[in-house]
Amino acid sequence: MTDGLAEQVASLKAAAHGYAARIEPIDRLVWPDGRRIAVNLTVDFDAMLLRRLNNEPPMQLAKGEFGGRVGIWRLLEVFQSHAIKATIFTPGRICELYPKALKAAVLDGHELADHMWEHRVPHEPELERDHLLKAIAALERISGRRPVGSRSHHTRQLLRDEGFLYNSHGAPCHGPYYVLDAKGRAVLLELPFHFAIDDAMFFSFAWYASGNAEQRLSDPDRVCDMWWAGFQEQYRQGGYLNICLHPFVSGRALRIVMLDRLIKRMKSLPGVWFATCEQVARHCLDHYPARRGVRQSAGSPAE
Amino acid sequence: MPWKERYTISDETSLGDRDVRWPDGRRCAVHIVVDLSIAGGMEGIRESDLAGSVAHFAANEGLDRLLAVLAKHGLRATFAVPAVIADLYPRRVAQLIACGHELAANGFRHEDVSALRRDEEKARLDLTTKMLTEISGRRPTGWFSLPRQADPFAGGTISANTMELLIEAGYGYMGNGLADDIPHYWVTDFARRRAMLTLPYYYHFDDQFFCMFPQQGTGLENSDMLFRNWRAELEAQYGRGRFFTMTLHPQHIGWCNRMAGLEDFFSHLARLPDLWNATGAEIARHWTHTYPAHSALKLEDSIWKDYPGSLS
Repeated sequence: MTDGLAEQVASLKAAAHGYAARIEPIDRLVWPDGRRIAVNLTVDFDAMLLRRLNNEPPMQLAKGEFGGRVGIWRLLEVFQSHAIKATIFTPGRICELYPKALKAAVLDGHELADHMWEHRVPHEPELERDHLLKAIAALERISGRRPVGSRSHHTRQLLRDEGFLYNSHGAPCHGPYYVLDAKGRAVLLELPFHFAIDDAMFFSFAWYASGNAEQRLSDPDRVCDMWWAGFQEQYRQGGYLNICLHPFVSGRALRIVMLDRLIKRMKSLPGVWFATCEQVARHCLDHYPARRGVRQSAGSPAE
Repeated sequence: MPWKERYTISDETSLGDRDVRWPDGRRCAVHIVVDLSIAGGMEGIRESDLAGSVAHFAANEGLDRLLAVLAKHGLRATFAVPAVIADLYPRRVAQLIACGHELAANGFRHEDVSALRRDEEKARLDLTTKMLTEISGRRPTGWFSLPRQADPFAGGTISANTMELLIEAGYGYMGNGLADDIPHYWVTDFARRRAMLTLPYYYHFDDQFFCMFPQQGTGLENSDMLFRNWRAELEAQYGRGRFFTMTLHPQHIGWCNRMAGLEDFFSHLARLPDLWNATGAEIARHWTHTYPAHSALKLEDSIWKDYPGSLS
């Protein structure tokens, strides 16, 4: 009756331990100049590209297009009004669809980072590399420098080989952490983001064709309260918060008001560091290097 | 190929807040859309949709109350009506026109046309226009393809031919687009700059997605969220001097508690000076006159390339 159950236990343990062995959180992380919290405002600027990739119908694409025509400009305005530098994760192909908005973002001092060539990572290694190189080249044509960050499923070793300092994906812990390879060497720094602090999860109906009963429908007051509570908790802990915004979602007029309100509340407390992901990554790499491996960030951005 | 094709329907940037003008120096346009479809799913209105309490309420008490509240607040709306509904309730059509509202089309039986052959879609479109014209005594200038409550995506469904067919049929505007929050042009032919004027729609301001009862198995009543969304959007768009739109269904908004919320919202609306409450045709007339497509559309030539191993 119990044949094989011990093996099941061992297999489950191995799976959990195997994952845990790849994660190296940064302990007792202190931010520059005694600040209590680092806040990364991150913008996933995929406009209609992901909708197109998923073969969604014309009105879904038009919904995404709002992000490029209207939303991205409004986000830039809000950031500018608060003198905040944000990180804009952009698929390479968006550089061909909305070059003006991205150039404006660079002029404002925001960081442009990779969000895959066309919002997917091919399984074939050669094509994956080809896509990443295309995305890097497209971003470099806009910003004049190679991106150092990514929000993607790209192979971490590939990102590292191409000079990336960080990836921003997944949330095994609240703060920045290193991902280790099978030999226990750190491959890449990760800046976590969580779906609970992601506008699309509250306001983008039919996200990945989700059904109407799982409506991603809410209102700005409710979401602002939730995110404010999330910020306060991280502030008390002395931590990190990554706020993920999509221009086609947060660029709607009612949510621009909400974002402005949230930023004002956060700014009302002392010691809040609004930084780009690159700034946070360099601080971690310089002052909290991984115990084994991973290059320091000192030197040119594209070393 | 032009960089727009298969990705974008309009030009690269919207009109900035300062460039948006409304008649007589009004500050913000308000477009109220009332959808008289009772379709449950993408096949459009079925016998089973009509032979039930929801449809009965929609066509009677729900519509009575909605018309009364609009009249009480001096507001005019565009009614998006499927041909079969107009045919079923011709006196209602006459009534809403007499109240100063606009009659616009919302499909033949509000069915999904996205997989129809061009000639089949054209035949339905022409029949819809003919029926609405005969029933109301005037030709509709607006066409809607509004979403149904059970649609997989809440944007409304059209085919690759719909916009071009609407231009050919002489329609003045398409009533629901999502690429902007002011009227904008849906380009059907990049080379010839042919485009259809499109009025904004957004499911966050559509009652049917917040008032899901009595849809079986969903059990969601989020009308409080709906009212907060309306109010937040109205105030934000008023501040910018742009456009506010809301979509109502008698079977959803007409029910007691929701009607009270709608009245509260209309009272709030009345406190904002210089709003321009207009119907779709009036908005379209203003827009095509002030921002004609040939000068307002800023289409640029191809920078989009095809790459091996990439989406085209």
